Amino acid sequence: MALYVYLHFPALQCDSLTEAGQQAVPLAVVDAQHSIIQLNEQAAAQGVQLRMGLATAAALCHNLQLIPYQEQQQQALLMAIAQQLYQLSGEIAPDPPAGLYLRGCSMLQLYHGLDGYQTALLGGLKRLPYRYAYASAATPFAAKCLALQQFNQLTADHAVTDKALKCSPLSFTELETEMQQQLQRLGIDTLGRLLALSAAELARRFDHRLISYLGRLRGEFFHALDYIRPEPGFSRYLELLYDISDVAVLSVPLQKLLQQLEQQLERNNALCHQLTLHLYSRDSATKSYSIGSAQGEYRAVNWLRLCQLQLESSQLTAPVYGLQLEVTQFAPQQAQSDDLFAPQQGNISALQLVSLLQARLGRGAISGLSLQNQHLPEHASGRPLPLLPTRPQAGALLQRPAFLLPQPRRLHEAVEISSGPERLCADGWQLAAQRDYFIGRNQQGQWLWLYRTAQQQWFVHGLFS
Amino acid sequence: MSAILAQLARRQLLWHGNSQQAAYQAVATGYSELDLQLAGGFPASGLIDIQTELGIGELRLLLPYLQQQHSRGRLLVLISPPAEPCADMLAAAGISLSQLVIITPKTSKEALWATEQCLQSGCCAVVLLWQPQLKLALARRLQLAAEQGAASLVLLRRPAAGLSLPVNLSLELTPHRQGLQLRVHKRKGGWPTADFVLDMQKHWPALYLPPASTALPQRKAG
Repeated sequence: MALYVYLHFPALQCDSLTEAGQQAVPLAVVDAQHSIIQLNEQAAAQGVQLRMGLATAAALCHNLQLIPYQEQQQQALLMAIAQQLYQLSGEIAPDPPAGLYLRGCSMLQLYHGLDGYQTALLGGLKRLPYRYAYASAATPFAAKCLALQQFNQLTADHAVTDKALKCSPLSFTELETEMQQQLQRLGIDTLGRLLALSAAELARRFDHRLISYLGRLRGEFFHALDYIRPEPGFSRYLELLYDISDVAVLSVPLQKLLQQLEQQLERNNALCHQLTLHLYSRDSATKSYSIGSAQGEYRAVNWLRLCQLQLESSQLTAPVYGLQLEVTQFAPQQAQSDDLFAPQQGNISALQLVSLLQARLGRGAISGLSLQNQHLPEHASGRPLPLLPTRPQAGALLQRPAFLLPQPRRLHEAVEISSGPERLCADGWQLAAQRDYFIGRNQQGQWLWLYRTAQQQWFVHGLFS
Repeated sequence: MSAILAQLARRQLLWHGNSQQAAYQAVATGYSELDLQLAGGFPASGLIDIQTELGIGELRLLLPYLQQQHSRGRLLVLISPPAEPCADMLAAAGISLSQLVIITPKTSKEALWATEQCLQSGCCAVVLLWQPQLKLALARRLQLAAEQGAASLVLLRRPAAGLSLPVNLSLELTPHRQGLQLRVHKRKGGWPTADFVLDMQKHWPALYLPPASTALPQRKAG
């Protein structure tokens, strides 16, 4: 027995801009014909209605914020919802501009019946900021017709849906306005009356589109739906209500995006090591930040902290009107194993600490130290990335100073030599470049690592600290 | 009488002058004379203030302590070292280089921020900070962070007169031909002692000058 669910989102673009817990302003989305097609509750409370002209709306509500309708953004939002719901329901087909078809019959066994499916689905929708209407029926078009009327119940009992369907006005169907008017002139104003007529008679007066629609509505014709496939990674764009030039204020919308990322990562049981944040501004070029976490994170709180540190270190030059968060690769989550007998004191690990420091101080400021198999002192110490596991090296050379000067400096003071010489030569054929190293102590009591060149010049190369 | 005393002692209302409790958990310094002077060694956590000139042996004094402290897999962090640290010397002293992190911040404000983060994190054993001066309030803050993360902060700075910082141990080092001359300015749970000389010949035979300086001809650089 087939069961399709239709979800209708009446105000996607409008709802995407409102934030929970924030003092909301009346918002409305207007199309190219200056008629209002989406509005929020605050606008509705002031008397603004759908399909109202711009002038009437502005007269009713003086502080109404108007946003132009953007088809691309609407579609992106719809696809984002579909991707999120994919974790709950397997077969989802988008119905632009504002709806989703869900094939429910294949999911009933997983959720032990319709009640479980309904709980899971509505629970998932509750986490999203969008208002919605839903309905279920035996065919996709029937479900859509009922959802548009805000039927708002999922039932496997087809008698209930058929009854509701028969009373539905023609304006909720997929038929063109012309055809609806034609039918109304014949006295057919509900779907029930239309369905009562025989198909052969209708075919004589109307074209194939009506027959095809009614056939799919009844379930006699096959209705092909284009089901989505899950996309790898995460990419969300958020347009801001007003331009932001302060990093502290920017963290509020950023947190919203990161929470969506957290939800997706949590569902996939994954984490990510790197995310890219694009900040769009009107006057200057788009700024991109890549924020990394060596350990890999999924929690929004930790990512927000890293993002804030990185943003604080670089000044925002121009106000930002939109931000986009992108993650290309997810990594599987792995449990950390801690020492049972020496429990960790703090709440972050070494890798997390390194990511934190890198975010604020820059990548170049943090490094590890490695011992290279080189006898020349300036090549013996490598500065790799921090916390890289190094294999145990062949023995370290003894009698090396704690600190090497970046540039050897000329010796200008009296020193007492305590040991030496140790001759080091860069290459066998460059005998002129050989150096004789000594350890000496100057008058201030500092222990210096000195060398004498073949030309009998003395240099200080290091400090025994 | 003794029953009352015992009862008071049990409720920790009575303080015995002769039962000196260590104010901190001590870790052996690797130099037996120093352990004796410091009643056990360096503190395992908290602030250690070392006033020293650069290059007289301050790091060699600390190496055995650093090696012990970070041997349990926690990190050793060097913040704004005065020059390039040399891997050979640290590896020869038994410090595992994969657990060493070097931070070179641009400003001293960033250095202090990094210090606090490292101390708080709980994954660092010792943080070495080269910083010219430290304000009292900041020292207190770092001390709290160190307690939170059970880490120790070794602050290496030039000798400077000023207010005493809230630290567990404050030492002043002056160079000496046989090693170092130490003065304990402050030790939590103990009295300052007289200056003493720490002979480092046994540990660092190459960095040693015999007491009679006239025996060896002095070499002068040209």
